[in-house]
Amino acid sequence: MIDAFTLDLLRNYLLVGAALFALGMLGFLSRRNLIVMFLSAEMMLQGTALSLVAFGRYHGNFTGQVFTIVILTVAACEASIALALIVILYNRRSSLDVTLWQDIREEGVPAASPAQEASEAEPIEPVPGPESYPILTPAGIEPAHPVQPWLERRK
Amino acid sequence: MSGFFVQNVWMIPCLPLLGAIIAALGARRLRSSSHVPVVAGIVLAFLLSCGALFSASPEATTWVGRWLPIGNLEVPVEFRVDGLTTMMLSMVTFVSSLVAIFAVGYMAGDPGYPRFFALIGLFVFSMTGLVLSNNYLLTYAFWEGVGVCSYLLIGHWHTRPAAASAALKAFLVNRIGDFGFAVAIIWLWAVLPDHDLSYGNILNGSTLAALPEAAKLGIPLLLFWAATAKSAQIPLYVWLPDAMEGPTPVSALIHAATMVTAGVYLIARSMPLIALAPGVQVLIAVTGCATALLSASIALTQNDLKRVMAYSTVSQLGYMFMGLGAGVSDVAQLAVMAAMFHLFTHAFFKGLLFLASGSVMHAMGDVIDMRRFGGLRHRLPFTHLTFAVGGLALAGIFPFAGFFSKDEILLALKSASYSGAGQGWGWVYLLIYWVAIVTVFMTAFYTARAYFMTFWGPEKLPSPEDPEAPRPEPGSGHGDHEPHGPGQGETHDHDHGHVGEESPPVMTLPLLILAVCALLAGICFGPTHLFEHHLHETFGWELLGHGEHGSDLATALISTIGGLLGIGLAYRFYAAESPVPGQLATRFRPLYEASLNKFYVDEAYDWVVVKTTKALAIVCEFLDIYLVDQLVIGIAKLPRKLGKDLLAGYQNGLIQFYAAVSALGVAVLLFILLLF
Repeated sequence: MIDAFTLDLLRNYLLVGAALFALGMLGFLSRRNLIVMFLSAEMMLQGTALSLVAFGRYHGNFTGQVFTIVILTVAACEASIALALIVILYNRRSSLDVTLWQDIREEGVPAASPAQEASEAEPIEPVPGPESYPILTPAGIEPAHPVQPWLERRK
Repeated sequence: MSGFFVQNVWMIPCLPLLGAIIAALGARRLRSSSHVPVVAGIVLAFLLSCGALFSASPEATTWVGRWLPIGNLEVPVEFRVDGLTTMMLSMVTFVSSLVAIFAVGYMAGDPGYPRFFALIGLFVFSMTGLVLSNNYLLTYAFWEGVGVCSYLLIGHWHTRPAAASAALKAFLVNRIGDFGFAVAIIWLWAVLPDHDLSYGNILNGSTLAALPEAAKLGIPLLLFWAATAKSAQIPLYVWLPDAMEGPTPVSALIHAATMVTAGVYLIARSMPLIALAPGVQVLIAVTGCATALLSASIALTQNDLKRVMAYSTVSQLGYMFMGLGAGVSDVAQLAVMAAMFHLFTHAFFKGLLFLASGSVMHAMGDVIDMRRFGGLRHRLPFTHLTFAVGGLALAGIFPFAGFFSKDEILLALKSASYSGAGQGWGWVYLLIYWVAIVTVFMTAFYTARAYFMTFWGPEKLPSPEDPEAPRPEPGSGHGDHEPHGPGQGETHDHDHGHVGEESPPVMTLPLLILAVCALLAGICFGPTHLFEHHLHETFGWELLGHGEHGSDLATALISTIGGLLGIGLAYRFYAAESPVPGQLATRFRPLYEASLNKFYVDEAYDWVVVKTTKALAIVCEFLDIYLVDQLVIGIAKLPRKLGKDLLAGYQNGLIQFYAAVSALGVAVLLFILLLF
């Protein structure tokens, strides 16, 4: 061992990994754009991979790295499939909004309409204070987009 | 050379099995020549058996292979080649060969032709294995094997409900007996110090002496229980008459000559063990005697030729058991040999009688009701001649085979009445002796009745206009309570163009050979003591008591007079039209009706056993539907209720919602993991 990879160092790595994972999860749960959701999932994967590499370094073996390389390979494959699926889904509905795909819900359950709910919700006031958080656009509002003539034709 | 036959004795069961496999696998290709491999296999087995006959010795065994290694108990496939086994082997393979050849003619054109021969081969395999095996477990396996073959062959024409139910009845009744056998084997296993079930270990003096008292009484009793089912004795004889629903060659082979003697064989094989319990021996003799008398009196009035023969078989098996039961103290060896000798001769003449009945049936276009034909002696000369020989042998007339063997049994019974006197059983044996002589008279009467009704009197061929043909007329005194109307007969694809003609040579030749045997088997092997000397080579029988027993002229005389009297009476009644039988039937109407209806034994069983079982089945059905089923249905409804009514509302189709629930679930699990 050239330099000591102490527990403190490991903790830093793990913290970053956990943050990546948590942010990814947050993004996945809150965003409605299919591509963004997919990117968030990738981020969760990277958080895990980072932790694994850190563990591997801490224990002084290659297990974590090998694992990570496998994950990257799988992630690449998965990305290609996911993007292909997204293309198909887009072609079907001319939109990347995931809430348009509520067909799998149980019979009798009313369809949710997050865009409607968000537009009717009270606007979020910025929290006053010296260290005010940045104001994010409320998630889930369907951006206005023009209907393309070639899409019209397809319908 | 003698070593060769002992070493290769395994080929005797395997050759018919090979034939059966070829016949079964090549059924499509062989079609109407399916009999070739099976007949060839059985005939070769017979030739090998003849070789084995001359190399028999009490200690000759051959180890074929490992079978069941359980812990340190090893049950091998081991064959014993001693006097009893080789005698049975030769008899079984000889009769099987002839019956198989007969069946080539009889079964010609049957749609199940290959199946029939495959099963015959399988049966010969099981039967030869049964008599060859050297331990109780292997015997039991083959014992079940012959039971299955019997079931399948009785139900050969399985589309007929009567045949299907007869097969089922035979199988179920046999299961009752098999249960006794199984318990006997388990008991033996438990009481033997080294758990070795081979005959060599069990049937020797020191092992037998070391058995606990309860086992000395119980195991013979259980073995006899097993024998009553297989060999059709009271109370389990009811399956055998119904088994006549099978093709006639099957009746001749399995239900007259070979399989039904398996019980006799088992008792004879275990004779050193049985001889430990004189009480059981008395029971065996009494059962045999009662069976012989009962079934002979049923046979007196039956109108179905095959059924007369079936009851006669039950009766003759009763004789064998009388013989076995007479084996007390110093009569033991004489008695068991008498029983085996009767088994031996009975195989020939009863096989002959059945095949001759089959030949009559073949010629009569599958009609078997004796009232519908008569005077056939000119039309069927060979069948007539051979039936007469078989009948005389069955009636026990000098010099036919039955005379010698029946006489020996009577002699054994008489000797037992002296020897058994010391144990207080003398009077029982004397009673049995006299009942047996009465039965001789009855046997001669019903045999002669069947013979005269079939072959004498004015010539008459079955026609659809017979009063007996479609349905018995109520109140005519000829109520036919058989499960099938006799007119329906055995419906297989026979070419009915040859009604009333003698059967082809392939059927008459076996008849002639068997007739010669029925004529000579007694006089060749009986008085010359050839049979006795051969059976002296049997393992374990040197333990049986033996004393000097001269022949008894008085018994021979009485039984012959009884037999002649029976034949004479039947001649008076049935050789020509005579009003006497009808008058007698009216005079003793209740007795006649009872005999005709088989003493209502089947009905009684139906009430006592079948009805009770059905009632129990209804209770079980009720419990099943309302308790077990409801429980199962209730459990099956639970997930549905849980999913449909409770959780389905959360199935809203939003992917993020699902993801959130999964994440929460993982969080809860992690929390629990941290907690503990």
